[in-house]
Amino acid sequence: MRVLVFFGLLGLVAASQAACNDKPGRTTAADTTRGQALYKDLCASCHGAKGEGGVAPVLRDWTRGEETLTRIIDERMPQGAPEKCDGDCPPSIARYILDTFKGEVVCESPKPLARGLRLLSRRELEATVSDILAGTTAAPAPAAPCGTVSFVYDPKGRAVTRVHVAGSFNGWPGTIAGGGYPLTRAGNVFALAQPLPNGSHSYKLVLDERDWIPDPDNPRRGPDGFGGENSLVDVSCPASGTAPPEKGDDVVASAFVSYPKEARPEAYHFDQHGPSRVTSAPLAEAVFRIAATVSQAADVPKMLACGANVDEACTKSFVTRVGKRVFRRPLEADEQKRYEALALGGADRTKGARLALRAMLTSPAFLYRTELGEKKGDTFVLTRWEVASAMSYGVTGSMPDDALMGAAERGDLATREGREREARRLLGTPRARKHLGEFAEQWLGADKVAEVEKQSALFPDDSPALRAAMREETRRFFTHVVFDGSHRTAELFRANYTFVDATLAKHYGMAAPKTPFEKQAYPDRARAGLLGHASVLATTAHSDQSSPIRRGLFVRRNLLCQELPPPPPNVGGVPKIDPNATTRERFAQHTANASCASCHRHIDPVGFGFERFDAMGRLRDSENGKPIDAKGDMTDVEGLGKGTSAPFADLASLGETLAESRAAEACVAKQLYRFTRGVLEGDACVTRPYETRFRDRGGDVRELLVDLVSSEDFTVRQ
Amino acid sequence: MNVVSRRSLLRGLLGAAMLSPFAGLLRTAAADGAGGPAKRILFFYFPDGVPDPGGAAGKWFPQGSDTNVTLSENLAPLARFAKDTLFLRGLSMGATDAGSHPGGAKKLLTAVDGGGGESIDRWLARNVGSASPVSHLYLGAMAAQNNASGDKFISYPSAGTTVAPEDDPRAAFARLFGSATPTPGASSGPDPDDTSVLDTAFADLESMRRRAGDVEKAKLDLHLEALRDVEKRVKGLGAVPTASCQNPRIDTAGITSQTLNEAATFPQILRAQSDLMVQAMACGLTRVGVLQCSQHTSELIMSRFAGTPLYRPSFDMRSHQASHYGDPGDSKFADYTAQRTWFVAQAAYVLEQLAARPEGSGTMLDHSLVVICSEVSDGNTHSHDNMPFVVCGKGGGAVRTGRILDAGGRRHGELWVSLARAMGANLGSFGSGGGPLPGVLV
Repeated sequence: MRVLVFFGLLGLVAASQAACNDKPGRTTAADTTRGQALYKDLCASCHGAKGEGGVAPVLRDWTRGEETLTRIIDERMPQGAPEKCDGDCPPSIARYILDTFKGEVVCESPKPLARGLRLLSRRELEATVSDILAGTTAAPAPAAPCGTVSFVYDPKGRAVTRVHVAGSFNGWPGTIAGGGYPLTRAGNVFALAQPLPNGSHSYKLVLDERDWIPDPDNPRRGPDGFGGENSLVDVSCPASGTAPPEKGDDVVASAFVSYPKEARPEAYHFDQHGPSRVTSAPLAEAVFRIAATVSQAADVPKMLACGANVDEACTKSFVTRVGKRVFRRPLEADEQKRYEALALGGADRTKGARLALRAMLTSPAFLYRTELGEKKGDTFVLTRWEVASAMSYGVTGSMPDDALMGAAERGDLATREGREREARRLLGTPRARKHLGEFAEQWLGADKVAEVEKQSALFPDDSPALRAAMREETRRFFTHVVFDGSHRTAELFRANYTFVDATLAKHYGMAAPKTPFEKQAYPDRARAGLLGHASVLATTAHSDQSSPIRRGLFVRRNLLCQELPPPPPNVGGVPKIDPNATTRERFAQHTANASCASCHRHIDPVGFGFERFDAMGRLRDSENGKPIDAKGDMTDVEGLGKGTSAPFADLASLGETLAESRAAEACVAKQLYRFTRGVLEGDACVTRPYETRFRDRGGDVRELLVDLVSSEDFTVRQ
Repeated sequence: MNVVSRRSLLRGLLGAAMLSPFAGLLRTAAADGAGGPAKRILFFYFPDGVPDPGGAAGKWFPQGSDTNVTLSENLAPLARFAKDTLFLRGLSMGATDAGSHPGGAKKLLTAVDGGGGESIDRWLARNVGSASPVSHLYLGAMAAQNNASGDKFISYPSAGTTVAPEDDPRAAFARLFGSATPTPGASSGPDPDDTSVLDTAFADLESMRRRAGDVEKAKLDLHLEALRDVEKRVKGLGAVPTASCQNPRIDTAGITSQTLNEAATFPQILRAQSDLMVQAMACGLTRVGVLQCSQHTSELIMSRFAGTPLYRPSFDMRSHQASHYGDPGDSKFADYTAQRTWFVAQAAYVLEQLAARPEGSGTMLDHSLVVICSEVSDGNTHSHDNMPFVVCGKGGGAVRTGRILDAGGRRHGELWVSLARAMGANLGSFGSGGGPLPGVLV
């Protein structure tokens, strides 16, 4: 019962959330009792108790006839273990489905999430600490500010120990000690990501502080006045992108270096802030040290705001104000007393205040967001402060800013309109943009490109800088579509443009952009929207070969929210590399073998559409001397079991099918639900209201997020 | 305030001449209890099972019965320790999720389907190891790679929850043994600021518990345990070096934040983590440890291990890929077999380190238990029957070693009961199984 296993896990992390009820008054025919029992046992966990679908197709209003249904059950169900349903089992289940599952499922309003405590994720903690140090409202710098130029030098066997950049921006220093920007060794190459001011710059690379050469990776050159050439680079960032990093961000980033890695729940793509995240000794130790480091760096006199006279009243006011920011609510009386005692405990009150800040940043009241609420009837309604935090972490991934705390204080967040107003305002902050960029790379698995291993012999241009550029491309693209573009999901799949720097442009065979990561048209139709992103193509491939399976599953799982069961044991694994065959030919056995084909007919023909891209996302026209065939079929795009076919000739037409798909649009709603709630939805009814409103309101992703953090069920727990 | 010097961590060799932040809690092993040196238990996990297609083609299980043991190809690296080892066969993890890697990983240490219970290592940490400065030490080698999902981790602090192991030996060393250059005066007693900060955290935790009522009790309990480990470190006083704990060090040459995720570095990372684990135990920091190699359905490219028989630079052979050998005649079967033998050799290195440390009238190994395990049996079929468990070390004379024990299909939870008893704990049954397993204990 492998299929059941999978759904059991969903239940584990999602808690029981929702119930879908059939229309009232329906009776079950006596002869379907056995069918009902078998269905409950073998089918319901994936297809839903009422055939409403879940990880497996909807079964209601079956139109393809009893004979077909019986045959499918007999041959393929339960998926991966059809031997569990033989004899009279298939016809009994088919009869039950046809007799019982008629008409639309009426979803009751979803049951609320469980009350509880959410331990901040690493990203949330880091963003929050930065915001607290910034002292005022949330306005941090984006992760890779516009104007950051990647320098990469590949010595190609030449014995070089030091490389630095010298140019018009740093006064052409001949040595690193003299102000040259040093590149650091990263595998086989030297690399540096350096923010440069707006303007046209010329520069050279200096090897071992002796040999001055133009940047071999940068085709833009100009005369250097000494008979040689300088490399040229232009930087022009809009005003908002050039904001320098907040004071203290470096301190925060370095304090987090030894923060332990985090686990994500099974089948959950996102950073975990949900019910199953717990602390451990290494985590507690890391937090203890981070609090010590950053409180030492904090501008405590400024936070005290007492001037020269740090008197008792002013110190107590510090505890009240800063405590409210750190705990995201006013301090309880016992807490106020404890922190006042720390702040006033010694002769030096500034030192005392610093110690109080450190203790606050170590406190579980800071590390956990409570969602306990106050009892109202059968459920619990989140407090105004809990609503503010839930909204803020949902939209910006960090603590509530002063304006949101003000709105909470006034009671504005008690109404849906009030929450919508604040959610729209938060969407305009830089934190929201960064947060949605992170949503995109977690949803698409693009963040994994930092760690996936590749055969270096096959990909000589591989470097940390290239991988960083791949991630940045995906974040930029998604936030562009959502904030600056059409705001619609269709654009994600059909956009004929992207965002690359010189390193990634070279990888793609595109002209280098004037400014790193400015919007640039794809040179041809080979790539389509995010389907052409190297971050996606490289993470859905093996180290040394493409993987039609992983790419097909990526479309099914990540883009369409369709789950397929894991492969049965005793399969052969990846076919051996054959120097005389294409990947497509090697994987043909999947569709030739009947038991493999029951699943792989939905996977491989989709994955073949990506075959023009190798394991690092480079374009190719042939493999092992044979031309690439990237034709495929996007079967059952609106739901497995629908029996539809959408043949495509290339990746762009696959993108077009996805752009037109209701399932792909609804899947974005499901993924954002998971991202903001920190859990997988219990069943199809949980996210359906959001999907419906998303579509009805024109498919604006910004409004979807507003809906997710302002709906009525968002503020209620059980 | 103790500040770990980053500079010291950049050096290839991390060392700490008895300057551990836990220095005050380092103790002579003999001081632990009247029953002789303290017992330790270590779970050594490797992913993706063993080559056991049935019949004579199998490469894992030894031949023979009772004390007549003929080692298999995979277990050959244990030859030197055969007299100190209990070879198990016929243990089952039950039918639920059989055929599944994650299903096996969830049952492995919890003995409960779906990971629905605390794992035995955590239970032992709470019941046997809680007086140690570090009640539980969970180290990994590339175990949390690629945004690993929680089902990849074998240790369950409570039902249904996992945390990632510490994968960076440099950070783990700094946490356990501190920096090689201590802040002057740091050893003169607990920093009063550290103490106040912790006291406040404990008080806030109590307030939170009152407000939350019955909700999230398990989560808050785990937070309390974690804070107590920090407190034990902060409140440590005075160092007591022992015969088996001298100048703790690990070799971190070649390990950088970049290479931490590169398969070629895996052998060095595992070696550093093994050294760290053994020394943490030798120095009395912890009695319960888990060493997790990679993760189930592992993408670890073992053909990149230079200087090992697995090395083949021209072709990438991963652990999980090799485990699906299809037919014992396939060349992948030979790769898979060699990979498993390599993992066992790494476990043997841990045994060597324990055997090299004199303790009481023998060595540390005499007072320790090292359990070698994986989440499935045969990797090609993902069987959950006839699981590949091996128990090394005498556990202070509690375990009958030098033998093959056929469990005849009994559940592996019974083994955990036996080993908990060998550790001196009073455990009646564990997980969904009964216990103890007849024939394990003296």
